Amino acid sequence: MLEIKNLHVKLADEDKVILKGLDLVVPKGEVHAIMGPNGSGKSTLAYVLAGREDYEVIDGDILWNGESILEMEPDERAAKGVFLAFQYPMEIPGVAGLTFLRTAANAVRKKRGEAELSTPDFMKLVKAKAAALNIDFEMLKRPVNVGFSGGEKKRSEILQMAMLEPSLCVLDETDSGLDIDALKVVSDGVNALRGPDRAMLVITHYQRLLNHIVPDKVHVLAHGRIQRTGGKELALELEKSGYAEYAGKAA
Amino acid sequence: MTVQVIKTKAEQALAARIGSLLASSALSPAEKRVREAASSEFQTRGLPSRRIEEWKFSDLRNLLKEAGNDQGSTPREALEIAQRLGFEGVDADTYILIDGRMVGRPEGQGEPGVRVERLADSVRHDPAVLGLSDVSTLDDGQKSVLALNTAMVTDGAVVTIAPGTPTTRPIHIVHVGLGAVAVRNIINVGAGSRATVVETHVGGGEGQRFENAVTTVNLADGATLEHLFLIETDQGSAYLGNIIAALGASAVYRPFQLTSGAGLLRQQGTITFDGQHGSFDFSAASVTAGEGHQDTTLVVDHKVPHCTSRELYKTVLDGTARGVFQGKVIVRPDAQKTDGKQMAQALMLSGEAEFDSKPELEIYADDVICGHGSTSAEIDPDLIFYCRSRGIPEAQARALLIESFIGEAVERIDHDGLRVGVMARAMGLLRRSDT
Repeated sequence: MLEIKNLHVKLADEDKVILKGLDLVVPKGEVHAIMGPNGSGKSTLAYVLAGREDYEVIDGDILWNGESILEMEPDERAAKGVFLAFQYPMEIPGVAGLTFLRTAANAVRKKRGEAELSTPDFMKLVKAKAAALNIDFEMLKRPVNVGFSGGEKKRSEILQMAMLEPSLCVLDETDSGLDIDALKVVSDGVNALRGPDRAMLVITHYQRLLNHIVPDKVHVLAHGRIQRTGGKELALELEKSGYAEYAGKAA
Repeated sequence: MTVQVIKTKAEQALAARIGSLLASSALSPAEKRVREAASSEFQTRGLPSRRIEEWKFSDLRNLLKEAGNDQGSTPREALEIAQRLGFEGVDADTYILIDGRMVGRPEGQGEPGVRVERLADSVRHDPAVLGLSDVSTLDDGQKSVLALNTAMVTDGAVVTIAPGTPTTRPIHIVHVGLGAVAVRNIINVGAGSRATVVETHVGGGEGQRFENAVTTVNLADGATLEHLFLIETDQGSAYLGNIIAALGASAVYRPFQLTSGAGLLRQQGTITFDGQHGSFDFSAASVTAGEGHQDTTLVVDHKVPHCTSRELYKTVLDGTARGVFQGKVIVRPDAQKTDGKQMAQALMLSGEAEFDSKPELEIYADDVICGHGSTSAEIDPDLIFYCRSRGIPEAQARALLIESFIGEAVERIDHDGLRVGVMARAMGLLRRSDT
C-alpha cells in the first residue's frame, strides 16, 4: 500500500513550493488516476516518488508497504518495487537496449535476493514481453531510445516496467504523444500488469487514457493538493467541465 | 647576436643517449653520417616548445622533465609482459621488441605474401631506409621529434605486403620498453591488398620510459589497412608518436588508437592523399587520469579530388588530466569533392581536468563538404537518475555511461576479435582508473 502523508515538496534550488500537503492512499491491487491542470504538481509527484534529486521534501512522508522511502536512493526504491514510466524517456547513446534491460533486471533481482537471469532465460523473457508490446526485437539492439518515435519510447518504458516486475507502477503522462493505436498497445501492456499485489498510479491530463486503463479511483490534483476524489465517472465529468473550477487560487 | 638556448635536462639526457649510440663501432660510415646529421638537427631545434603553434598545448620543453633513465627492462619480466598482450581468440603473427630491439628472427613467420624484417637489418643493408620522405605538412616541432627518431632508432618491424594479398591474420607488433628508446615500423601494403596491423606500446615494468615511435605507412592503389595502436604511458613516462601515411588511389586507411595512463603522450598523424577516392577513417579512445597529458594531433592533406576523411576522438579525463585534440584538414585547390568530417568529444569526470580542442580547416577548393564538432561534458546527471530509477546502482550507472562513451570509438574497429579484445582492455582501464 502507498501512503502519502501531508507531503510538501519544493524545487531543490528554488524557493518555489509545488506540493503543499498532499495526502493519498493507494491500496495494493488498485489503480488510481491523478488528473489535474498543467502546473498542478503531477510530474513533481511522479519524480518525488522515484527519488529525483531536483526536488526537496520539506514536510510529510511517503510510505510504501509501511516503510518510508524518502531516505532511499532511486535504485533502492526500484529494488523495493517502485517504477516510474517517464513522461519523456531519456536517450542513452552507446548503450544497447538489451544491455540496459539486462543490467537493470539483474540489478533489481540481486537486491531482491533473487538469482540473476541467465542469458537464455533473459532472452526468452525479453522476446516474449517485447512481442506482447509490438516491439521489434531488432530495436532492442540499438541504443536505448535513440532515434525512437514518441510511441516507441513509451512502449520501451512499459517493456522496462514489465521486465523489472515492480509492485508500485507510476505512469507519468504515458498517453502523451501516442496515437490511438499506440495508446491501445501501451494500455494493454499496462493492464496485463494489473494484479492483486500491484498498485498503480496513473498520472494524466486527459480522460481518454482512462477508457483503456480503467481506474478504481480518480483524484484531482490542483495547487499542490488533492482537491477531490471520486470513481472513474469523475474523469468523465472533468472531461466535460474542464479544470476551470480548480483554476482559481488555492483552496 | 646568437642566442644560446640552454638545454633542458631531458635534452641533455637525449643528447648523451645519442652520443653513446653513435660511439658504437658497429655503425658503417654511411649510417653514421645519416644519424649524425639527424642528431645535429635535433640538437639545433631542441625539444618542441609552445613557441611553435602546433605545440602550444603540449610544451615538451617544459613538460618533459626527464627522458627516461639509462635503466632498461629486465628481459624476462619484459617478455612476460609482452606475452600477456595478445588477444584471446585472435590468431595473430606477433613480433616482440624489448627496449627497442626485436626478439628473435621474424623471417618466415607471416602468411604467404607477407614479409617482415628487422629494421636494424634493413638499415645495415641500406642506411637510406632511415630517411623520411619529404612531407610538406610537417611542423617544426615534429621535424625535431622525427630527427630524434632517426638519430637514435634501434629497431622495428618492416612489413611488406605483396600486391593482391588478402591477409587474414593480424600482425601484432609489441614494444615493451624502459629507458630512452626509439623504434620505427615501416608498413607497405601492395596494390589491392588488405591487412590488419596492431601496435602495442607499453612500459617494461617499474621505471621510466621515454619512447619515440615512428610508423610510416604506404598504401598502394586499392590497398586497405586497419591499424590499431594500444599505447600505455605511466606517470613519469612519455611517448612521442608519429604516423606518416600516404594513400594511393582508392586506398583505405583505418587507424584506431586506445591511449591511456597518467604519463605524457603526443601522437601525431600526418596523412596525405596522393590518389583519388582514398579514404581515411580515424577513431580514438583515450583514458587519462592523475596528471596525465594526452595530445593527439592530426594533419590530413587532401591533395587530390574525391577523397574522404573521418576523425572521431573520444577522451575520458579524470583528476587534473589534460586532453588535447588538434585536427587540421587541408583541401588543396584541385581537391574538389573532398568530404571531411571530424568530431572531438571529452567526458570530464573531474572539475580540474582540461580539454583543448582545435579544429582547423584550410580549404582552397570550392566544391567540398567539410565539418567539425567538439563537445566537452560531465556525465549527464539526468541519465544517471534514469539508470538508477531502473535499479542500477550509481557506480554501475556511471561505469555504464563511461563505457558507452568510449565504446562508440571502439565499435568502429572492423576486425571482430580485435574489437572485442580492445573493448575488454578499455573496460579494464576504466575500472582501474575508477578506483
